[in-house]
Amino acid sequence: MVVKVRNLVKRYKELIALDHFNMEVEEGEILGLLGPNGCGKTTAINCILSLLSFDKGEVEVFGRKMTPDAYDIKQKIGLVPQEVSVFENLTVRENVDYFCGLYVDDKHLRRRYVDEAIEFVGLKDYVKFYPKKLSGGLKRRLNIACGIAHKPKLIFLDEPTVAVDAQSRNFILNGIKELNKEGSTIIYTTHYLEEAEMLCKRIVIMDNGKDLVSGSKEELKAMITTSEKVVVSFTSISDEELSEMKGLPHVIDIERDGEEYIIKFESGINNLTKLLEFIKEKELIYTKLHSQLPTLNDVFLELTGKELRD
Amino acid sequence: MKSLFRNCIYQGKNLFRDFGFVFWSLLYPIILSGFFYVAFSGIMNMDFKDIDIGIEEGNPIQYILEEIDILKVHTISRDQAEEKLIDEEIKGFIDGDLNLIVNKSGINQTIIKEILEQIRQMERLNRPLENYDFQVDYILNKNQEANMIVIIFYSLIAMVSTYGVFAGIVAVSLIQANLSHIGARINITPLKKYNFLIAGVIVALALNLFANGVLILFIKHALKLQLFNEIKYSSLFIFLGNLLGTSLGILIGASNRKSHGVKNLMAIATTLFLSFLAGMMSPDIKVIIDKKMPILGGINPISIISNNLYRINLLGSTKSVREGALLLTLYSILLLFSSYMFIRGRNYDSI
Repeated sequence: MVVKVRNLVKRYKELIALDHFNMEVEEGEILGLLGPNGCGKTTAINCILSLLSFDKGEVEVFGRKMTPDAYDIKQKIGLVPQEVSVFENLTVRENVDYFCGLYVDDKHLRRRYVDEAIEFVGLKDYVKFYPKKLSGGLKRRLNIACGIAHKPKLIFLDEPTVAVDAQSRNFILNGIKELNKEGSTIIYTTHYLEEAEMLCKRIVIMDNGKDLVSGSKEELKAMITTSEKVVVSFTSISDEELSEMKGLPHVIDIERDGEEYIIKFESGINNLTKLLEFIKEKELIYTKLHSQLPTLNDVFLELTGKELRD
Repeated sequence: MKSLFRNCIYQGKNLFRDFGFVFWSLLYPIILSGFFYVAFSGIMNMDFKDIDIGIEEGNPIQYILEEIDILKVHTISRDQAEEKLIDEEIKGFIDGDLNLIVNKSGINQTIIKEILEQIRQMERLNRPLENYDFQVDYILNKNQEANMIVIIFYSLIAMVSTYGVFAGIVAVSLIQANLSHIGARINITPLKKYNFLIAGVIVALALNLFANGVLILFIKHALKLQLFNEIKYSSLFIFLGNLLGTSLGILIGASNRKSHGVKNLMAIATTLFLSFLAGMMSPDIKVIIDKKMPILGGINPISIISNNLYRINLLGSTKSVREGALLLTLYSILLLFSSYMFIRGRNYDSI
């Protein structure tokens, strides 16, 4: 186990930021810490890294208790903080070299690592630029390069794609997969469920400082009653027909979202076939119909009663 | 050691390229010294020869005044005097009762007043006027005034020697996770906090001493003012000013969570106020404080530095060097110790 967090409690006066939070991270995995803004993801990371004091609980990193002066543990960690944290008056290369140099003494090895990190984040053409001359996306890439240049075994990425353009986001996400392939264990916090679904082997869903559930995305989706959703746009449908539709086998609920009706099924077989037979029988006309599996947002919705992006 | 050196290099680059540092530590003192020079150059370059003075015919002190080199005596009536005073043909008029009549105040008038005062004193002591000492250098009065202006420049140098305060603020905010994002990032690296802070102090001292050197060269070569006749003790006080400023900056930086701009303003306000008390805005303030509250002049670090620079370089006296140096060192130690109390925490309640 690379990281083990047990019953972590962090209070800010009356506010409970972490409420008996638990998390385990296995070597070589990408663990997603998913939750809405302000749910305690960054606080959890700062407590794990011993930046923040906490009121209760235990944190182990690489099998040892994490403390502010555990320099040998810190040697193996890389952090990409949520805010771009670089020196404004050092160039791109100087920034990467400075942070890499805090871990790597050997000059030649450091030069290679710095070159590789700059290449990795695609900032080769900007090495002499000062951060203020970079776009938001490029700054984020520099922020990543500074956190990963020393090739850490464990990398914390705290919402690295916030306020980033689509091109840079894809670049960053592919880069994270690449880092994981090279052997780094990654803890990735995000409030974007698509990113968590795409990247993470396991996901911990957080809300109000608590870990609600954890598991692979398949395991998480299996935890909820909705197993399938069918989205249909009817030209017209009566209330009677809708209530008849609700009576079909395995239908849990029907929601209306504009012109679309979202029909939720619990686990069962041939749900879509039975729905299509009903539509044919009632001679209902539809313009659009598709089936989709539940998303992590559905998981979050069912667990908390609110949307992930609320 | 290697890590310390790397940190010095990178912190030095970061600071030296910072516009705030370049402005406040390098440009602002030069602008201020230029401003002072222009504002006071009238006094500094004043010609004190042939001060025109009017006196009534038959006044017994006329022959004494005529013996004084810097005075040009005109024998005129009282009525003429008023006209000549208005036209500024004479600087002052001495009547039969040895009263001095002037149209405005100034250094020339002060010199005449000093001469007249000495004659009055001799009269009161019933000493014959023939014993008047013609060797008294009344131009000393002029030097005294000019030296008052020099006080302003010593106060300015004293003030900017403490401008390591800005670098101190930067250094401490870069290492405190609760003060900056970089601080948080650096705190999770294997770099020890004190290592970074020591590098910050070295950089602050080195760059501010460099800025002080630039200012002194500017004053010497561009303004043509010779302020330093003695190097060893002068350098000691400038160095101690830097140490004090950097320590103050570390304390300001560590003691509160205000924005960087607010902290800079706190630093400027503190140093400017102490410099004001040390006579930078007007030497009269210093004179008043020395008269009314001498203890304040004795404990004000800017006063300690400027007074010692003045004494060492103009009066050739090193009498107060030891006391001043000890006091400044003590201040720095106290400031650093207080800062340590704020930054010793190794993790934070909030970030």
